[in-house]
Amino acid sequence: MASVPGQDQGFRERRQSSDHEGFLAHKRFRWLKIAGAVCLIAILGYFWSDVTPHPNGGSWYGYTLGTIGAVLIVWLALLGIRKRNMTEGRWSLKAWTSAHVYLGLALIVIGTLHTGFQFGWNVHTLAYGLMMVVILSGIYGISVYASLPAALSNNSREMTRKEMVEALAAIDRQLHSAAQPLNREEADLVIAALDQDTFGWGLGARLLARYRGCTTTTALAHFASDWSRPVGSDDPRDKVRALLGKRKTQLDQIRRHMRIKALLEVWLYIHIPATIALLAALTAHIVSVFFYW
Amino acid sequence: MTFLIRTIDTTADGREIVRDREVAEETITIGRRSDNDIHLPDLAVEQYHARIDRLATGKLRIDSAGTLGFTLDGKTIRAAQFHPEAGAELGFGSYRLAIAQGGGGVITITVQRASEQVVSSDALSGFSLGGKLPGKRAMAWIGLGLVLLAFLIVPITSNLSHPPTPPKAGISDGVLMDASWSPGALSLAHHGLEDNCQACHVKPFQSVRDTTCLSCHKDIGHHAAKSKLSIAEGPMSLGDKLQWNVAEAFGKEGPQACTTCHREHEGAGRMEPTPQKFCSDCHGTLDTRLTDTSLGNAADFGTAHPQFEPVLFTAPGQIKPQRVSLDGKPKEFNGLRFPHEMHLSKTNAVAQMAGTLSAAKGYGAALDCSDCHKPTADGTAFKPISMEQDCGACHSLVYDKVGSTFRTLHHGDVEQMRADLMAMDRAPHQQASNGLIAGRRAPGVYGQSGLYRQNFGPPVRSLVAINRAMQPDGVCGECHIPVTTNGKLDVMPVNIPDHYLVHSWFDHSAHKQEKCTTCHQANLSKSATDVLLPGIKTCRTCHMGPDDAAAEVPSSCAMCHSYHPGTMGDPQRMLPAKNGHDAMNKVAMLWRKGP
Repeated sequence: MASVPGQDQGFRERRQSSDHEGFLAHKRFRWLKIAGAVCLIAILGYFWSDVTPHPNGGSWYGYTLGTIGAVLIVWLALLGIRKRNMTEGRWSLKAWTSAHVYLGLALIVIGTLHTGFQFGWNVHTLAYGLMMVVILSGIYGISVYASLPAALSNNSREMTRKEMVEALAAIDRQLHSAAQPLNREEADLVIAALDQDTFGWGLGARLLARYRGCTTTTALAHFASDWSRPVGSDDPRDKVRALLGKRKTQLDQIRRHMRIKALLEVWLYIHIPATIALLAALTAHIVSVFFYW
Repeated sequence: MTFLIRTIDTTADGREIVRDREVAEETITIGRRSDNDIHLPDLAVEQYHARIDRLATGKLRIDSAGTLGFTLDGKTIRAAQFHPEAGAELGFGSYRLAIAQGGGGVITITVQRASEQVVSSDALSGFSLGGKLPGKRAMAWIGLGLVLLAFLIVPITSNLSHPPTPPKAGISDGVLMDASWSPGALSLAHHGLEDNCQACHVKPFQSVRDTTCLSCHKDIGHHAAKSKLSIAEGPMSLGDKLQWNVAEAFGKEGPQACTTCHREHEGAGRMEPTPQKFCSDCHGTLDTRLTDTSLGNAADFGTAHPQFEPVLFTAPGQIKPQRVSLDGKPKEFNGLRFPHEMHLSKTNAVAQMAGTLSAAKGYGAALDCSDCHKPTADGTAFKPISMEQDCGACHSLVYDKVGSTFRTLHHGDVEQMRADLMAMDRAPHQQASNGLIAGRRAPGVYGQSGLYRQNFGPPVRSLVAINRAMQPDGVCGECHIPVTTNGKLDVMPVNIPDHYLVHSWFDHSAHKQEKCTTCHQANLSKSATDVLLPGIKTCRTCHMGPDDAAAEVPSSCAMCHSYHPGTMGDPQRMLPAKNGHDAMNKVAMLWRKGP
């Protein structure tokens, strides 16, 4: 380790304080307070401005909120570029992420007030809808990041992902040799179980934990249905059954892991493409307003 | 009991060399040193790494000698017990030890070096969703492309390739996808232009111009001369100035532009009325800036609005009518003697007469306002009073009967009347004693025959009859005021205005639920000089300003006034909603009026 005793004390303290403070609570919720203040001002201004005949994105207050909202959207989207570049201090990535979360939430208020609650089947409401999709998926992302990692480590029981895969491989090798005495039909069942791609499952199977056509389950069902032999016999089929059971247990752990990973990752598949589509819709929204000025 | 240790080595060309040896002990050791029972030449393995004990129960126990553990079925541990029948795979460094129990209780330990790293990073990535869904980047590009194409590229190219279409209702300009740009439906008045954005948005990136509005609204009048307007408005507030600086920087025409007051795309239905503050900003304190104005200050109908000033003829023979405030209890001289009270009485001779004629004329037991005042077709105002229709039923001008035909004087022509009465004596006719001419002498007194007939005077000389006709109780003088015009006998001209307010309008049909006498106290009026218009106080029992929460009818300026003159004063143009031809100029007052 490169740490030298007597090195800048302040730096180490800063490091320590930032170590145990997540981006949500960054600097005692500084950005939560700022975003809350922004929302409050926007709401008060909305009622104070008293736009007639009714609140409208095309009033002076509407344009003000719209400009703030558009700048915010672009800035929030820049996290995608900013996150690839880690720095410390006031503009640390953590501060940036904290601001991203809370200002993103404030955008709900700013964007909604900008609409003046006028919605329709047009590009303006499309931009608003995409913005809400992005924000809601972000809220989902924050909430799973807060809750699921615990479940993930709970499930792994001190096994790394590599160990899970290796354990499965070890079971598979034993299964392969244990299945040598089996007849063709039963050997095929074991081959099918061994050959099936552990990770070949799609989003639906992973999220719903419904693995239809799992060949390990099929093979296990075949061997488990035959209880004609006495317990403790050294029939190779009993050994295969025991190993298939082990395989299934290991597979279940891997699958639980995959499910939690999917829950953790799936929102980004909405958040990011919707953000880019939002930037396009925002451009169309602004250009169209001035094109038909 | 024996362990059978089977070592499988792979030569460089892939050939496997299998060596078997038996160890007849209860314990075997595993390590890098060559004196171990199982010697594993791998730096990742300790010199003495672990030992395997065969327990009395038939199980195997494996213990690590040092701090490094081993793997059992892929899981890293430092000690384990298991039954050899169930089989297991141990891992030490790059070596794998497969344990199995064959017949005769011999435990086989197969030692083999793993050929390569089993778990690649590729395999680990399988835990992630990557590759299971379309890539984020691909989806982002597709979304970006679709949105830009549909909502920007198509409408813009389509717009640029279509020349503007004339603003006619129901004609599409043919521009594709620009409906997706509309922030809201157009008002009823402009609904026909819904598919023709270019009717108003003529040039790209140019705000809607006044000239475009005026191309349809040709007859719109100016509110006041521009010089007066700018004085009346006074200097802008700092906030307004800032707003207009920004707006003008973005190409808006300025505070006087049509679109400043008339906002579109606010949803289907009638166009929203211009908010009161657009009026009250100037008119609330108009006299402080426009010192020569004759208009009173008005900021809110409920709290700051001058008394009504109807246009009246206030003196006999007046040529030009005059605006007078109702506060001064003005008198009106319309040239008639007409006591409303007498005509609306429920008990007097007029009521009896109405009862007598009820079958023929449709009157009730007494006269009612509507027996004389007939509403116009749209119900907003009343038709002019006509002597023949509205008075003639009782005030008959019959003066003679020849055979079975009645001779009637021509109303409105004094000369003709003179001629008719002078000629009466020349022709043979029934005498007064027959009861025709010898009618009543005064209203309410019946003639000898019991029929109500006007008395033109005794059947003496005609000139006397003419003179008597003009007397206050004569056939003409009963209602008219006799004068001499150019030395000839005449009556004072009658001016019954059909509207009194020149800068606003009043819709009677909107007030149908009220009785006439609620506002017009005709039943108490003994003289035709009474001005029966209600004062502002009467209106305020229902109508207060738009912000008055308690008001029965919150009313902004636009309910009764239009910003654009030319729409006021002329009764034919008073209520545009019902006079379609002029509707375009009166959008502001459409508010609250039924379809």
